[in-house]
Amino acid sequence: MRYYESLYIVNPNFEQGKLDDVMKTVTETISEFGFKTINHFVWGKKRLAYNIQEHKYGSYVLLHFETDSSENLDKFERFMVLQKPILRNQTVALQDKPGKQTEKASSGEEEKKDPPKDSSEKKDKPSDDAARETEVEEPSEIKQEIEKEESNEPEQETEAEEQVQTEENEENE
Amino acid sequence: MAFQSKRKYCYFKENSISEIDYKDVKLLRRFVTDQGKIMPRRVTGTSAKMHRKLVRAIKKARNIALMPYTNTSTES
Repeated sequence: MRYYESLYIVNPNFEQGKLDDVMKTVTETISEFGFKTINHFVWGKKRLAYNIQEHKYGSYVLLHFETDSSENLDKFERFMVLQKPILRNQTVALQDKPGKQTEKASSGEEEKKDPPKDSSEKKDKPSDDAARETEVEEPSEIKQEIEKEESNEPEQETEAEEQVQTEENEENE
Repeated sequence: MAFQSKRKYCYFKENSISEIDYKDVKLLRRFVTDQGKIMPRRVTGTSAKMHRKLVRAIKKARNIALMPYTNTSTES
């Protein structure tokens, strides 16, 4: 038995209902090809490292499936590429059988890391990425974090100075 | 010895990690520069075996837009 993991990015502007439709078609197709689904869930909406088809965000969906033969894998890849709502997909072979996973276990952690937008970016906001506003703007928390970082800096400097002093002492000896 | 450098070690051997998941961006970010370039083995101290796995994982992550190919802008 071979195990595969497919991670694909769905258009971020799709609401939950549309996203479910896309996932449903994928599920139906892989069962057509004779694959057996293990996990299939939304991994979360994340900021893309680079724009894909002018989208800055993407809804990641994770799919684990198993199959006896890799015959239809090419067809599956082709099917995924031809789907318009799917911006990108990547299928990877797994060595071990993946355990049952749920949505909450793996998602959510990444979203906090999204950095705040620059003021210049806010001005030329593209109309199609309406969802980004809800995720991005948390100015008060970020300011606090920055303040914390600044407060940490002087301590580090003193440590560095101490090190320099000790080194000098050793040299004198 | 005033200028004794910090000893390098393989992060994966130290933490007994045998497989690297390309979805674990937090981990992979330790091994790329701010620009998004993969850091050389001589800098990170990763063992040859794990460095090969690491490179594959980073390239997979780049393909699925979890990590940047290049990052020339100032934002991290």
